[in-house]
Amino acid sequence: MAHNHDNPNGGENGGVDLSEEIYPPGAEYGHGHHGHTVVSPGTLIGVLVVLLLLTGLTVAFAELEAWIAGLFEITIPQWVNAVVALSIASVKTAFVVLYFMQLRYDNPLNSMIFIFTLITVAFFLGFTMIDLGMRGTIDPVKARYIQPGGTGIETRAAKQTGVPTNAPVTEIARQAALARGEYTPKEPEPVIGSTPNLSRPRTGLTLPGFTDDNGGR
Amino acid sequence: MTTVPSGHSTIRDASEVPYHQRYRAAEHFRDREHEFDATKMGVWLFLATEILLFSGMFVGYGVLRMLHPEAFIAGSGHLDVHWGLINTVVLLASSYTVAAAVRCAQVDDQAGLRRNVMLTFIGGLVFILIKLIFEYRVKWAEGKLPGIFYSYPGAVSEYEPLWWGLYWGATGIHATHVIVGMALFVWIYLRAKKKHFGPGHYTAVEGVGLYWHIVDIVWIFLFPLLYLIH
Repeated sequence: MAHNHDNPNGGENGGVDLSEEIYPPGAEYGHGHHGHTVVSPGTLIGVLVVLLLLTGLTVAFAELEAWIAGLFEITIPQWVNAVVALSIASVKTAFVVLYFMQLRYDNPLNSMIFIFTLITVAFFLGFTMIDLGMRGTIDPVKARYIQPGGTGIETRAAKQTGVPTNAPVTEIARQAALARGEYTPKEPEPVIGSTPNLSRPRTGLTLPGFTDDNGGR
Repeated sequence: MTTVPSGHSTIRDASEVPYHQRYRAAEHFRDREHEFDATKMGVWLFLATEILLFSGMFVGYGVLRMLHPEAFIAGSGHLDVHWGLINTVVLLASSYTVAAAVRCAQVDDQAGLRRNVMLTFIGGLVFILIKLIFEYRVKWAEGKLPGIFYSYPGAVSEYEPLWWGLYWGATGIHATHVIVGMALFVWIYLRAKKKHFGPGHYTAVEGVGLYWHIVDIVWIFLFPLLYLIH
């Protein structure tokens, strides 16, 4: 900084040296924006136009999908609209983050913060959706019959062996195999020091109404 | 700094110098550049928590939509896409104006800074007014309220109160964020009038602008998920 300490008690301003006030130590003067990138107005307008176009595209796709479904009387699965709309929304977010929030020109650490936040959200959303999406697949296995009325295993077993239909599948299978003469029960070998059987009916993990035992409750 | 031909400064006291030129970074920072970078990173960390806050609503949306898709289709039919689209355009434009405001501060365009901050505030205000007058007031009157408060007779699916709970919750939290942003922009505008911001010091404008962009991004995701289900 080019200010003069030579004559603090004389000279202009009655000897009061205001240079420290006007040029605080550590301030960088003379080069305007300190190395911060100034995004040009053209870029900002361009990004706004792109964002508006993508918004229109989202709406247009949704309307188009509805129109096609109505015209050809087909059912388009729900996830198509969701995937397309969220993809376009992600592209719009990328534009806002990179140009309006200037993450492109910024300290990479901030980009890392943002990206890892997205990863966290992906974990949160992803695992929840996987769990929920597979309930339809898992529940019949846990419910011990595939559909109301069953596949016939239980009813046949019930007829043959008298085992009730809400007995464990393993028990039904065992009794059915016994009745067919394909199973010879063996004495289970005692296992020294094994932990007791910790299996127990778990409540709340099965949709109520799916099983006779009302989901364990 | 103003000088007379003799080269002496004509500044009589420090208050004649604009605040943004006089601004001194806090002592524990190396310089103003360091303070700016640290503040910006702090704002980004706060934005990370905001993203996680809204992700809770989005996961709730995903769960409920997966369990009761017909309720969501029926519920979304009660929303007017046109108001949602207008609100989206308004928020995108306000994102542009706040980015332009940051740029104006960077090139010492004080009038442009004030104008853009004012336009951003107006954008938020228009958003809230449209939401309140054309969406919330109508739905409240018709009884399309969340959960136990639901009293609209024309429900297609018995799980529609869940949809309305998600609609009011997500848009309500978002609208609260918009209102907070509007208050922040009033603060920024008042400081801009006092010429607090300039090329060497525009940290607050940048920080509030970043917050406003996150609010806009959340709405970018909310709009298709709420309004465009068919």
